[in-house]
Amino acid sequence: MTPVRPKIDETYCKGCNICVAICPVGVYTVGKSTSARGYVVPIIKKPQECVDSKRNPNEKKKCELCIYVCPDQAIDWENE
Amino acid sequence: MNFFDFYRQDRWPHMFCPGCGVGTVMNTFYRAFAESGLDQNKTVFVAGIGCSGRIPGYIRADSLHTTHGRPLAFAGGIKVANPKLKVVVFTGDGDLGAIGGNHFINACRRNIELTVICINNYIYGMTGGQASTTTPRDLLSSTTPFGNREYPFDLSEVAVAAGANYVARWTTFHVKQMTKSMHKALLKDGLSFVEIASQCPTQFGRRNDLNSAREVFDWLKSNSVPRSKARDLSEDHLDLNLMGKITVGEFVERNRESYMKAIGVMK
Amino acid sequence: MQGDEASVEGAIHAGCRFFAGYPITPATEIAERMAKRLREADGVFLQLEDEIAAIAAIIGASWTGTKAMTATSGPGFSLMQENLGYACMTETPIVIIDVQRGGPSTGQPTRAAQGDVMQARWGSHGDYETIALAPNSVQEMFDLTIEAFNLSEKYRVPTIVLSDADIGHMRGTFVVSNSIDITDRKYHLKPVSYNAFAYDENLIPNFPKFGEGHRVHITGLTHDISGYPKTTDPKVHEALVTRLVNKIRLHRNNICRAEIINPQAEKLIVAYGSPSNSVYEVLNERADIGLFRPITVWPFPEEKLRESAQYAKKILVLEMNMGQLYWEVERIARQSPCEKIELFTKLGGDVHAPDEILERCA
Repeated sequence: MTPVRPKIDETYCKGCNICVAICPVGVYTVGKSTSARGYVVPIIKKPQECVDSKRNPNEKKKCELCIYVCPDQAIDWENE
Repeated sequence: MNFFDFYRQDRWPHMFCPGCGVGTVMNTFYRAFAESGLDQNKTVFVAGIGCSGRIPGYIRADSLHTTHGRPLAFAGGIKVANPKLKVVVFTGDGDLGAIGGNHFINACRRNIELTVICINNYIYGMTGGQASTTTPRDLLSSTTPFGNREYPFDLSEVAVAAGANYVARWTTFHVKQMTKSMHKALLKDGLSFVEIASQCPTQFGRRNDLNSAREVFDWLKSNSVPRSKARDLSEDHLDLNLMGKITVGEFVERNRESYMKAIGVMK
Repeated sequence: MQGDEASVEGAIHAGCRFFAGYPITPATEIAERMAKRLREADGVFLQLEDEIAAIAAIIGASWTGTKAMTATSGPGFSLMQENLGYACMTETPIVIIDVQRGGPSTGQPTRAAQGDVMQARWGSHGDYETIALAPNSVQEMFDLTIEAFNLSEKYRVPTIVLSDADIGHMRGTFVVSNSIDITDRKYHLKPVSYNAFAYDENLIPNFPKFGEGHRVHITGLTHDISGYPKTTDPKVHEALVTRLVNKIRLHRNNICRAEIINPQAEKLIVAYGSPSNSVYEVLNERADIGLFRPITVWPFPEEKLRESAQYAKKILVLEMNMGQLYWEVERIARQSPCEKIELFTKLGGDVHAPDEILERCA
């Protein structure tokens, strides 16, 4: 089983940190450095905590709250 | 259906402010639509004026961006003239609850088969932060610099009273429930009204001591309460300030005859 | 039947299958007859909450490819102005019957006037052009309603029939010709996702009907040929607005119509709508008087008037207002040798009587 992890696309992220607020297990945390676009993008601090990361990539995701909420469509899955 | 099958990729990144709840509504609506099985070629999106009204310009479908307050009137004309088209309306608290109030209550009364998504950010965002008919009392806006002296509308309760077949309200925190309600709204007969309490960090938040998108988001989340819990007999019905709470949930689900059936354009 | 009712028959003949309206004297009969006739014709009749909803609904209906109409009078016409501008901006074919009554404001609900003439041209904000027709009989209520549909379809522009309380309520007979030309808008035949507003030398884009896979975005914001809003580029706005206006101006010769009797007369009466009926009687008595009756009030038949003005020593403009079309006539006739361009105003709902007109033409 190949674990997946969420990733943030810095060309879309505007640093609103709502993903940090909504994630129930603390995957995200407020970032420190500025992206090329000029926003302070969150850091994926604890990808291993992500409920859906423990699934097979083809399996239907159960959480995805961050993807649902991200106003800039900046979060997606990335296979390792 | 992928996200950019539904939306116009050539117009990305979109225009909405950092942390704006409209972006969240775009996600949830797309998912609700993708699961509905509706034909995007046979769906028309009608928008009013304001930030929420900009959504249809981003959707890969026929869309009509109309005059302020009137999308329900235009939408009614489209639906009645060609009942085979699915018609979805995107509107906001000012567009629907102020200038569009008359069309709002009459469309609900007629129960015209429309799916109405109202993004309520408690302010007039596009024009720079003026008070709305849903701005809670005492809050600040650019036209209420000393505190709002008026009490707000509860748009969802208005929709219930006016006769809409399906009424639900969620905040942008309640993404899963919101998606489910939108999905129901898309497939239900008659007028379906889904109100989304949404964060406007730039105009609403900034003026009311909520100094980031996260803070407004948390404000919505912590002030929301299930309607079933809030509306009991002990509550003061005259307190139009909603007891300082945003009631959420499915408010009503009924099967009144839809307008199209009543006037005979649809069997 | 009544003029109002003849207008309904004209609309149905032209293919109108959608009416949305709000009751208002003296146009209510149009709504009432439409309520019955559209059911027979398998169309849709809606009585809506106000005139703003009415014009919005007919615009929406038009985007599904349905010919749609509303009918109102002054106060309702004023309410409709914002959405009328929207119809111009989005190039939506619609027909509005304005059965004029005494104004301003609530005014004289049951008496005729011609106070909305300028409003039909300039009532909404911004730069645009409309087409407005002025019937003067029950026959013309029938004919010109059909013509209004044809013009609005061909030029993708809202077309107004400027009637009045007398023409609307007068009773008479009319003839339905066997061969009536009906024009339909030109549709985009293949799905066109981009550049739905592309146009040729006629300046009229093809119409992308909703529900056919065009996936087109229609907005009242300034837009380019893709339809997407582009509000901050001056060139885009200029291109759009000049096309909307030139779309009509370019085709003036095909659009403008006037009835001219005794065109080389020394005394030329310019009259339209109700007052023109009195002029027919006057013409019977005097050979030195002529009539110039604009049938299209907008665009005003300038070229035709200029021709007749060459011969006139005096031009008398009859209006049931304090001077609206008069200014167009005055502007045009000033370029001719004619030195006397007079306005004969009649307010309150009575039409200019033939002997009153004769007195002014002594």
